[in-house]
Amino acid sequence: MKKFFQDIKKYYKYIIYSTKSNLKTEVANSYLNWLWWILDPLCFMLVYTFIVEIVFKTSEQYFPVFVLVGLTVWNFFNANTISSVKLVANNKSIVTKVYIPKYVLTLVKMFTNLFKMMISWGLILIMMLLFKVPYTFYMLQFLPVLIVLFILSFGISTILMHFGVFVEDLNNVMNILLKLVFYMSGIFYAISTRVPDPFNRILLNLNPIALIIDSFRKAFLTGSLINYRMLCIWLIVGIVLSIIGIKTVQKYENSYAKVTK
Amino acid sequence: MKEYAITVKDLHISYRTLKGFSIKKSLLKLKMSKAEIFEAVKGVSFQVEKGKILGIIGKNGSGKSTLLRSIAGIFSADSGTIDLHGNSVSLLSIGVGFQNKLSGYENIFLSGMLLGFSEQQIKEKINDIIDFSELGNFIYKPVSTYSSGMYSKLAFSITAILETDIMLIDEVFSVGDVKFKQKSYNKMKELISDENRTVLIVSHSLGTLKELCNEVLWLHDGKIKQIGDPEEVITAYEEFMKKD
Repeated sequence: MKKFFQDIKKYYKYIIYSTKSNLKTEVANSYLNWLWWILDPLCFMLVYTFIVEIVFKTSEQYFPVFVLVGLTVWNFFNANTISSVKLVANNKSIVTKVYIPKYVLTLVKMFTNLFKMMISWGLILIMMLLFKVPYTFYMLQFLPVLIVLFILSFGISTILMHFGVFVEDLNNVMNILLKLVFYMSGIFYAISTRVPDPFNRILLNLNPIALIIDSFRKAFLTGSLINYRMLCIWLIVGIVLSIIGIKTVQKYENSYAKVTK
Repeated sequence: MKEYAITVKDLHISYRTLKGFSIKKSLLKLKMSKAEIFEAVKGVSFQVEKGKILGIIGKNGSGKSTLLRSIAGIFSADSGTIDLHGNSVSLLSIGVGFQNKLSGYENIFLSGMLLGFSEQQIKEKINDIIDFSELGNFIYKPVSTYSSGMYSKLAFSITAILETDIMLIDEVFSVGDVKFKQKSYNKMKELISDENRTVLIVSHSLGTLKELCNEVLWLHDGKIKQIGDPEEVITAYEEFMKKD
């Protein structure tokens, strides 16, 4: 673990610089450049609003904001998980030429996604104004939930990065698993009211993404206290996963370049 | 008392257990396929004195590049040790971590930081790098607009100006036009002949090695066949290759 913090200290400048250049590259690549970071969540918000409110004729209070919160969290988690599977392969040119602690690659990717997520949160604040959702002090609960989300994603991402090197079709497995988690996380429905009684509590407690989305909604939309006990448990799980991930990566990272493709 | 910069002891490197594995395949076969073993380096030991230049020769696939990469810390050794006595090391390679959509200027920082230099160190050297690369105003244009010659000029300049204690060179480069080629060769020589710098060169150009090296190591099938005086080893090597 000591090595991890030394590595972060040594490479944090590179992480910041590389994150910036990743974002710049993305902007340079596309025609509407940074507008995509706003348009993407906005369009999906409209799609889900259409499906749920017009096709299925159900709704939650402030539905567009409600679904936007869900999508924002989901996009961050999904992008991290998917990209970490192929992370080493995609950075082959770096991995085979210099030594770099491999979780630095994970962190670069995560900070890139974090920045995009922050734009999405900015959008949520604006939408809250539009739909006249009151701003409350409960919104300060945003920070602890975000930290849990970040640590949990980091743990999962490092472990997936490790196995992604050796298991060729992990990508396909992850695609199916993520679809499952997507529908189980209550992104476009409220788990606590729409799912019958014993199952909703099970889902909220066992699926960290569902819990995190629900917590964010409590902070922003309903203005109530979060279930801190469950959040703490998942924070501990996240830290444990991160430590396992870091240890595994440290043990095997020098073999990554050797894997024949 | 001689001061050593690199000590390699009984180094073994193999590519065995690390074949890619697929869930689909293993489900179909229902048993683990036998891992193929390929040992690239089989028990190599040598020492290099500080400030000396060691050339490495051998036919293709004899483990030269694997050896260099493991000294650079990219590969892990299966057994044996590599001690660099606290020196910084870099494998001279072209264009590490370049982002093609970004300008040459930004890529200097990106690549330099990846090679383990601090932002401050790069800032001090950046003008030298730009001067040496001869790119002029192109340095502020995206790398994707560069010609291949310009690209390698920039890449070479970064690695040549940002120096480390131990330099590992895989094939002597020839980049750019005739003028730049001469310039880079001279720069190379200047870098190599610095008294405090230890250099390992892998090359097939025997003439260059004879001229530059203090010692030559001949690798054959992952083992040391001969090590010692450049003239002697290279002559033996040439004879051996003719026989084949």
